[in-house]
Amino acid sequence: MMDWVLSATALVLLLNLGVGMIRVYRGPTPADRMLAALLFGTTTVAVLLVLADWVGLPALRDVALLFVMLAAIISVAFAGLPTTDEEER
Amino acid sequence: MILTEVMASLLLISGCFFYIAGTVGLLRFPDVFSRLHALTKADNLGLFLICTGLAVNSGSPRITGLLLVVWILGLLAATVSCHLIARRAIRSGQAEPPVAEPRAADPTP
Amino acid sequence: MIGLAIDSVLALGIVWMALQTVRSDSLFQAMLMFIVFGLLMSLAWARLHAPDLALAEAAIGAGITGALLLVTWRRLQVHGPDDSNGPRLMTRWLALPIACASALLVIIIGWTALQLPAVPGTAGELTLQRLEDIGVSNPVTGVLLGFRAYDTLMEMAVLLAAWLGARAVATEFRPGVLPGPAHAEVPLVGALLSLVVPISILVAVYLLQAGGSAPGGAFQGGAVLAAGGVLLCLTGRLEAAAQASALERVGVILGLAVFSLTGLIVMATGGPMLALPGVWAIYLVETALLLSIALTLVLLFAAAPGLRRAP
Repeated sequence: MMDWVLSATALVLLLNLGVGMIRVYRGPTPADRMLAALLFGTTTVAVLLVLADWVGLPALRDVALLFVMLAAIISVAFAGLPTTDEEER
Repeated sequence: MILTEVMASLLLISGCFFYIAGTVGLLRFPDVFSRLHALTKADNLGLFLICTGLAVNSGSPRITGLLLVVWILGLLAATVSCHLIARRAIRSGQAEPPVAEPRAADPTP
Repeated sequence: MIGLAIDSVLALGIVWMALQTVRSDSLFQAMLMFIVFGLLMSLAWARLHAPDLALAEAAIGAGITGALLLVTWRRLQVHGPDDSNGPRLMTRWLALPIACASALLVIIIGWTALQLPAVPGTAGELTLQRLEDIGVSNPVTGVLLGFRAYDTLMEMAVLLAAWLGARAVATEFRPGVLPGPAHAEVPLVGALLSLVVPISILVAVYLLQAGGSAPGGAFQGGAVLAAGGVLLCLTGRLEAAAQASALERVGVILGLAVFSLTGLIVMATGGPMLALPGVWAIYLVETALLLSIALTLVLLFAAAPGLRRAP
């Protein structure tokens, strides 16, 4: 039974990711699109963790760990650090 | 044995529910800031429930520890990311910042 | 049944993302599609039982490529592309026949490959049988350093050449992608750094150590370490220096130098060139490779001759 639940979870999460793509198309601001990409990142982490149990590859948990560890880099690159005079505004 | 399987399944299914709720919020909510709010539920609770379900299923302390680290890092990444994105959305002027409701009874003048 | 459904969703998603990446009208949207494409690719590698590739995809895709694309996008917002109204390539009518021909070629090659009978005693099988002689149980690391060490050495030479090329092209020093000295401190970023940077060092060392028996190795570890460095650059903790320090010069060539020297010493003592004498030599070379890969990637990302600690 567990195998079935695990694979169904992976499928539901993947389909969920597909539906979330609509927000990347619609936007309207870059921030909206970025949010959708963030949700995809977390979904991928969950799918990898589920796959690690289902396929029986423990190394996939390491892959999930890498993704979740590096997820913030993309947002920092997107937002950037404000300059000090921007901050004083 | 059966009990752990049922518990793990229930946790995984509720995790999926929060992911779906996050996506629905992402698609249906009107502006960046409310979408941000929907997203963090998926990030925090969805990932937490999936991790707990898998930990119950595996029953091994090593895997449970790793899943806990993944969840804590996920929380941190989601918090920082949402803060930075909201900040940028306000500063770039592409989205109106949310206005705080005026408090009805404020004891300090 | 569900496995087939997952595979179909992944396959369709990957092709769709690739298509959207090249034909999206908005640059930002195309970049995000490419990032999502990377996520789906790592899931595909996971489904194909190739965690080594999934690790590399995660470290490079999530840590470095995505950041590079988004930083470029932000720079374009400020400066604007030089030739936004310039002539576009006139290839639209040619694109369809070329795409169809390419697809046909892929189908023919795939079909032919499926028809081929299984050959016993291929190089791959022989390699797996002889893996114990090298002393590592992870076939990927064994092949990279035991059976095709020359190729791995050349890959390091390519990385060094890329860095030298980037230095040669960037004739004037522009501290471009990094935030300038006038950047303001954002709350939470300090907390992020104090957790993620130590963990990235820990994970890099873990991947290096695990590489002998499980998926991992110098390339993945180096990419993770580089991602930590990229984060330090993005948050203004490291800033561009006009000159590379002596330590950085040594670090960039360290991998190539240690690898070549080990191989030459073996040759001097009568063995074949680059035949690494034992597990300790493999770990020595891998450590040097990891440091060089990480440093080169961070320097390439920062597009700077050197880096120094921000005051």
